[in-house]
Amino acid sequence: MMTSAADVIVIGGGVIGSAIAYYLSQEGVKVSLIERGDIGSGTSSACDGNILAIDKVPGYDSQVTLKSQKLLAELIESLDYDIEYAQRGSVLVVEDENQEQVARDWFARQKEAGLPMRYLEGREVFEDEPLLARDVVGLVECASDASLNPMALVYGLVEASRSTGAMIHPFTEVTRILRDPVGSVCGVETTRGMMSADQVVLAAGVYTPALATTVGVAVPIRPRKGHILVAERSGRPARRKVQEFGYLLTKFGGTEGRRVEAEMDQYGIAMVFEPTEHGNFLIGSSREFVGFDRRSNHHVLSLMAKRALRFFPTIRDIHVIRSYAGLRPYTPDHLPIVSLVPTVPGLYVAAGHEGDGIGLAPITGKLISEMIVGKPTSIATEPLQLERFDK
Amino acid sequence: MDDDTIVCRCEEVTVGEIRKAIREGAIDVSGVKRRTRAGMGLCQGRTCEKIVTQILVEELGEPVSTLEPATVRTPVQPVTFGLLAKGSHDD
Repeated sequence: MMTSAADVIVIGGGVIGSAIAYYLSQEGVKVSLIERGDIGSGTSSACDGNILAIDKVPGYDSQVTLKSQKLLAELIESLDYDIEYAQRGSVLVVEDENQEQVARDWFARQKEAGLPMRYLEGREVFEDEPLLARDVVGLVECASDASLNPMALVYGLVEASRSTGAMIHPFTEVTRILRDPVGSVCGVETTRGMMSADQVVLAAGVYTPALATTVGVAVPIRPRKGHILVAERSGRPARRKVQEFGYLLTKFGGTEGRRVEAEMDQYGIAMVFEPTEHGNFLIGSSREFVGFDRRSNHHVLSLMAKRALRFFPTIRDIHVIRSYAGLRPYTPDHLPIVSLVPTVPGLYVAAGHEGDGIGLAPITGKLISEMIVGKPTSIATEPLQLERFDK
Repeated sequence: MDDDTIVCRCEEVTVGEIRKAIREGAIDVSGVKRRTRAGMGLCQGRTCEKIVTQILVEELGEPVSTLEPATVRTPVQPVTFGLLAKGSHDD
């Protein structure tokens, strides 16, 4: 059976695909969103809810995030879901003198790039967050950073898309992208039959490379596993997002500048604290390449708890009630791919956001919709092109 | 059951919110949980999972046997950060 109804098929019902469906629907484009499981049941349900510019490379990377923060603040109004958006800013903790210079450089570069930054030291640190370990030496603050409930964002975007005419197809797995005799995209083959459209957007996160190979396209995304611990509702050790400065080192692959056991670096463990709107808090983080295995590793969780205690000694007696692990779509240069595919007319890729998918979903959705309807893009897209990996 | 009845006491989720989640596409306990937070609190669904399942059965008109059970997440019982950091499972 060949069902034809959509102008654009979006593959992937996570936060990225949902945001694309949302912005395209706003433009009056007829969208079919196809998801192999339930909406929002993959990586977008196993992450935290950050909209952070502070941990992006100063320059294009932080600018694109700033744009996304602004778009998010605009779109919240139009969603029927309470996405629990809170803009309290975020801080990076400078652990010791060893990290001080690199942290000050980071602060200066971000400030120059236009971010609302502050550097706190001495007594200011503990006035800001009184329960931090007494030996830390500084805080780098970004005032525009925010957090939200990622699942509520996904469902909010999907329901808003549905109400403006998008067709939602959960529990439908795309097995192949289809091309016409000229080589242009003409639809997809799914477990529930064929669907036709002249344009297809691949927003399948870590599953993007497998689908892209069905039309001979190589996409360099790998699943990078990350764990999160959920604490009970209790007195929270900090009022807003707190990350150790060393998180930047584990993110970008450098390990010098942090004095920890080898195992902490081996599993990419860095303390990330996030309060939720429900009185709980989340503790991250880990980074590992272990294929598509989403099960929690107790040893990694134990090391994460240990690292959290180094910064927040007062949480010792607070209970962990749950943990989860998600597969973040990693790219070699830490920037996502938001791009048309030159070799396959009508095909687009929007994937590879690693830990920034929630924060970059609005700008990603906006950019893809602009590319498809032929409007000028909100920000230059060259750094996000797929062809950059050919060089 | 009345729409205002609270099903998940930990997260204060009502029957009406669960029914809305099912109308919007939830087909199992995990799908309801992601949309409403039912089962995400301290008891991790020990109290409300059966009631959520019952509402799913009523709304979807399918037998219990075809529903996926909720994903079990470690730790099986709450454990303090202190003990977890020592590598202990025990509370």
